[in-house]
Amino acid sequence: MELTAEIQTAARQLGQSLRQDDYIRTYLDVLEESRTNPEARALEKKMYDEYKALIDRQQTSETLTPEDTRSFYELHQQVQNHPLLSKRNDMLQMARPYLAAIAEEISLVLGVDYVALAKPR
Amino acid sequence: MVSHLNAVPSSTLVKLDPSQVAHTLSELLSQTPEYRAYLDALNALNNDPVIQRLSAEMRSHQIALQWGRDTDSRHVSEQTRLELEMDDHPVMKAYRQAEEAVSVMFRAVDELISSEIGVAFAVNAQHSNCSCGG
Repeated sequence: MELTAEIQTAARQLGQSLRQDDYIRTYLDVLEESRTNPEARALEKKMYDEYKALIDRQQTSETLTPEDTRSFYELHQQVQNHPLLSKRNDMLQMARPYLAAIAEEISLVLGVDYVALAKPR
Repeated sequence: MVSHLNAVPSSTLVKLDPSQVAHTLSELLSQTPEYRAYLDALNALNNDPVIQRLSAEMRSHQIALQWGRDTDSRHVSEQTRLELEMDDHPVMKAYRQAEEAVSVMFRAVDELISSEIGVAFAVNAQHSNCSCGG
């Protein structure tokens, strides 16, 4: 999709202006910290690997036992409780209403739901 | 077209007002052929008598289903038939095509916004009670 130069500039400027928001800056800092923290990274990778393994098994029509899912949810809980990952998730939750308010302004001008139409498929 | 955009280079460190930039971006998007075609198609869809009739019929079957009045699966099969009829209607086909075109444009815009913020914009701008992070 070829966007006009003016739309590209406006879209980039919107992104830059949102990046200056305190909540978003803090979120990005914590996100970076969580990506470079070996313990947080390993824990999250383990959870995603386990999730993928469960999905793969389910797709081969294997019946998952309560023990399988319990082990995954324990891991999920560990991720939720990890101080850095928890802080990252909390910061994103705090930034989201601000993003939603800006998206609503776009929708209001356009008269259509920007988020519904712009979300990746 | 909004002309003041060029006055602010995209690499500038000047603090921009997100509301104002969002408004400018929206105005620019509202002038695109994709957006205008989408509104036209939406308007045609909302005013088409066949679509209105099919929608009304679908709603009545939906209500019957919600109240559990479908012992012989008649409502489910009628609902499916009406959906197919609606999907096959030229006005609906034109609407879907216009919707896809505007969606492709919005997704391209969203990618630019997101890459500048460092956070997926539309995905995180949707209202959700989910506390799953990500």
